[in-house]
Amino acid sequence: MKIAYYPGCSLHASSAFYDHQTKIVTKKLGIELVELDDWNCCGATSACKTDTFLSIALPARNLGIADASGLDELVIPCSSCYSRSLVAQSVLADNQELKDMINSELSKKVSGRVKILSIVELLLKKVNLPQFDEQVKYKLEGFKPACYYGCLLTRFPYDIKVSDNVENPQGLDIICKRVGAHPVDWNYKTDCCGASATVNDTEVALKLMSKIMKDAIARGANCFVTTCPMCQLNLDAYQDMVREKYNISQRMPVYFITELVGLSLGLSERDLQIDRHLIDATGLLKEIKQV
Amino acid sequence: MSTETVKFEPEYAQPLLQEIMDRSGQNLLACYQCRRCAAGCPVSDEAGVTPDRLIRMIVFGQKEEALKNFLVWRCVACYTCGERCPNNIQTARITETLKQISKKANLEPLVPKVAAFHDSFLKSATNNGRLSEMEFMILLLKKIKNAGGWSAVIAEMKSQSKLGKALYKKKRIHFGSEKVKNLSEIKKLVKKAEAFS
Repeated sequence: MKIAYYPGCSLHASSAFYDHQTKIVTKKLGIELVELDDWNCCGATSACKTDTFLSIALPARNLGIADASGLDELVIPCSSCYSRSLVAQSVLADNQELKDMINSELSKKVSGRVKILSIVELLLKKVNLPQFDEQVKYKLEGFKPACYYGCLLTRFPYDIKVSDNVENPQGLDIICKRVGAHPVDWNYKTDCCGASATVNDTEVALKLMSKIMKDAIARGANCFVTTCPMCQLNLDAYQDMVREKYNISQRMPVYFITELVGLSLGLSERDLQIDRHLIDATGLLKEIKQV
Repeated sequence: MSTETVKFEPEYAQPLLQEIMDRSGQNLLACYQCRRCAAGCPVSDEAGVTPDRLIRMIVFGQKEEALKNFLVWRCVACYTCGERCPNNIQTARITETLKQISKKANLEPLVPKVAAFHDSFLKSATNNGRLSEMEFMILLLKKIKNAGGWSAVIAEMKSQSKLGKALYKKKRIHFGSEKVKNLSEIKKLVKKAEAFS
């Protein structure tokens, strides 16, 4: 099965290992990702605060490339890129004038036909789950993840249909259980980590992350699992700062969902580049049991 | 304790309200101050202003207050307020709009670094078609220097240096930049954006 793939800038830079994991995990699952030719930055969460037109036009160019690819679905692992691309598609579906205006500058026009998927939707909807269970070689028994969805997987600034429960999403929890992990029930799964505030308003971001960490620990979690490269980077890179400021003794590795799925399929720590976390993520791996 | 009397003059208030409703696409008049947004806002302590208060300022035409309050500049765009609003008002699109109005009018942002961050991000993203994390940081530091001089740059670099080293060690900092082949298409969109706004 072939699915179009938009990695976005994070997955080609600070979270390059997420791009790598996404490719090798989907390959193991029999899915071939076809990277969009000559894709551009979606504008992330900055464009809409500076220029509304560009916040739609930038992801629209990528959607035009995807629409022209002939493939029916487009997977976008980064939550921010996923959110902005869905917003652009939805806005253009309702605004023919803007669509014409943007299309007049594009060599590959947006039609709106491609279906956008998050990595969670890809794993739950495009993978044959009984077949997947047979492929699982290792159970992640000792993993008690706090599944962290963040803001952008389920909340949108426009009316967009969400395929999961908005206040208490389950997609990541379902996948975690499928690979033998024991996700905890907790309160902060859709709370904000601060996103770009880690750089431009640090104290606010540290406070938000302290609440997330404290609740996850109080609920008995021993790691986080996420899909968003911004959430992963924030909780991973700023965690020691949060711990010091808010007197939190426990350290929590912050995994991408691709790492848990990859490990269960028998991919190694090295294959998945799990050594690229700032908070050590290799210690828990001894808790994995062969099926 | 006395409460200040608020004056409401529809003719005075109308232009600001209309501009923000048009640009944000939000019907601010639907707000009946139930404050579900306020209960869910993760930055309300730091902002000192909750989404319902911001809407009320705009409805009353208080332009200065609406542009210079910490909700506009510290909103993390988590969309919780909009998700929970019974009248479907997305306050994050209002704070977005106020940032844009502030930029267009060349007003000094209340938290300059927030505006500098988003401007630098978009600049780098449209320079090459893809974001270069290194170029973005340089653009941001330039803006920090313009606002606060070299001492501000040194303070910023000091605060980020430990983190930078840790990221570098884990190969999570990239010095190179990727470029879109059909960059002229991006430039055309940028030109159109300038004409459009």
